[in-house]
Amino acid sequence: MIELLQISRGGSGGVTGAKILAEAAMYEGLDSQAIPKYGAERRGAKVEAYVRFDSSPIRIHSPVYNPTHAMVLDSSLIKALEIDKVSKDGIIMINSSHIPDFLKGTNRKVAYVDATSISKELGLVVSGFTLTNVTMLGCFAKATGIIKMENIEKAIEKTLGAKIAPKNIEAARRAYEQTKVETA
Amino acid sequence: MAEEVVMLTGNHSVSEAVKRVKPDVIAAYPITPQTAIIEYLSRVVDSGELDSHFIRVESEHSALAAVAGASWAGARTFTATSSQGLLYMGEWVFWTGYARLPVVMAVVNRCLAPGWSIWVDLQDSMAFRDAGWIQIYNKNNQEVFDTTIQSYKIAESKDIALPVMPCLDGFVLSHTSSKVILSDPEEVYNFVGDYSDPIIEIDTGKPFAYGSIVMPDKYNKDRKDLMEAMERAKAKIKAVNKEFSETFGRSYGNGLIEKYGDDDADLTIVGIGTLADETQQAIDMLTSEGLKVNSVRVRTFRPFPTEDIIDIAKKNHKLLVIDRSVSFGHEGHLQMEIESVLKRNNIDTPVIGKVMGLGGEDVPYTRIAKAARENL
Repeated sequence: MIELLQISRGGSGGVTGAKILAEAAMYEGLDSQAIPKYGAERRGAKVEAYVRFDSSPIRIHSPVYNPTHAMVLDSSLIKALEIDKVSKDGIIMINSSHIPDFLKGTNRKVAYVDATSISKELGLVVSGFTLTNVTMLGCFAKATGIIKMENIEKAIEKTLGAKIAPKNIEAARRAYEQTKVETA
Repeated sequence: MAEEVVMLTGNHSVSEAVKRVKPDVIAAYPITPQTAIIEYLSRVVDSGELDSHFIRVESEHSALAAVAGASWAGARTFTATSSQGLLYMGEWVFWTGYARLPVVMAVVNRCLAPGWSIWVDLQDSMAFRDAGWIQIYNKNNQEVFDTTIQSYKIAESKDIALPVMPCLDGFVLSHTSSKVILSDPEEVYNFVGDYSDPIIEIDTGKPFAYGSIVMPDKYNKDRKDLMEAMERAKAKIKAVNKEFSETFGRSYGNGLIEKYGDDDADLTIVGIGTLADETQQAIDMLTSEGLKVNSVRVRTFRPFPTEDIIDIAKKNHKLLVIDRSVSFGHEGHLQMEIESVLKRNNIDTPVIGKVMGLGGEDVPYTRIAKAARENL
């Protein structure tokens, strides 16, 4: 079983991104779950979502406590990540042009890409929020290799529809190309 | 349109099932975490994709009153609610059950206030276990879809004529997306059949008084009939589960309960809802440690699977019952029923009760496994 913790800000599409990822996993032939953590979330506040992937049917319904991988959609939230809870073999994926100081010296495998710039270039901005949820799925595909880009693209297309999917698919592709993976 | 495989929340799994069954009348009032069910249905009614009357009402009390009235008029009906909304419906919940109206109402389980909370426990639907409704509790979104379909087939059988509550855990199922096979709409509709020959149909040409005063002898006969219909419902639920399996290739235990693990064990963990699914994960863990444990998921709380519980208690050495609801001043609801079944049948298998997961408290399988180890 592979478990992902995703940290984002309310309004940036994190819940939708998690669902698209779970759907892409389904096309990959895996069983999957996308769990949004609900509470008193507001726009701009930190929100968590979890995605599980497994080759056999998933019977666990709990939130994820010890994720295999973590993905942070807003680099200002990196300090909210409890690194010790993430598997030592896992990858920390972050929307950033560089490895944040917070991660330096942790000896963790870090995948980073400037998803905000990619999303802005493609006009993925809604009500002042730059949407990096879908863009970062390209980073996930590149860094983990769990899900092929074609399945991520299929899930984006299915969820977002023919009108807005193309820009999002392009964003995910650019993130895939530009993602760098290094040990911090 | 053929079968589709999609990522779906529990809420939308209910909606997709209802869309295929095509109720004549839908009335509902929004409440978290159920809202998305009716949002979706109002959208497909508005777009013309579903040809139903959608009645906008000012409260849950009116929502159930409206569908009960429509059911009396011979319509196939649907509503959904949660928590405080279900409580507010209370009068009509009993009325619908006692009138034997084949209404289907999805209940997204959410705990009751105060303290104000939106998360899961089963206190809301359990408070209505005596209202004459069949209650079916689900373990995942696929079962939510399948049970909603089955609910119509059970409710609308002339020999049953009882309302059905498919119940799903709030957020844990209602808002979590997972893989769901959406069966072909036509096949689903054919499985349930149309409702052109209703159980009861108000005929304005033949005026008749409904719900008027009755003398105690007639009243007692009606309640006895209800009890017998519940008893017959056990065989019906099993048969529908079997027929569903033959048609769609999916089934849930024998319809009333789902067993997991070897038949003979030192400890059997009995649960309900998603906690019972999580329990299966615990069973795998404990079995790998060399422990002799198995589990039972109670799928229908009403009618209660008395015969199955007798059978399980006789074969196993000890029962650990995990409840997600409680009767204050006594104990957990499942435990209560199981102890009464055992006592009535002179079975002395020990029963240990644990109440867990109230107010959305998370119960990971490791905690269930720990409780099992402590009681082995």
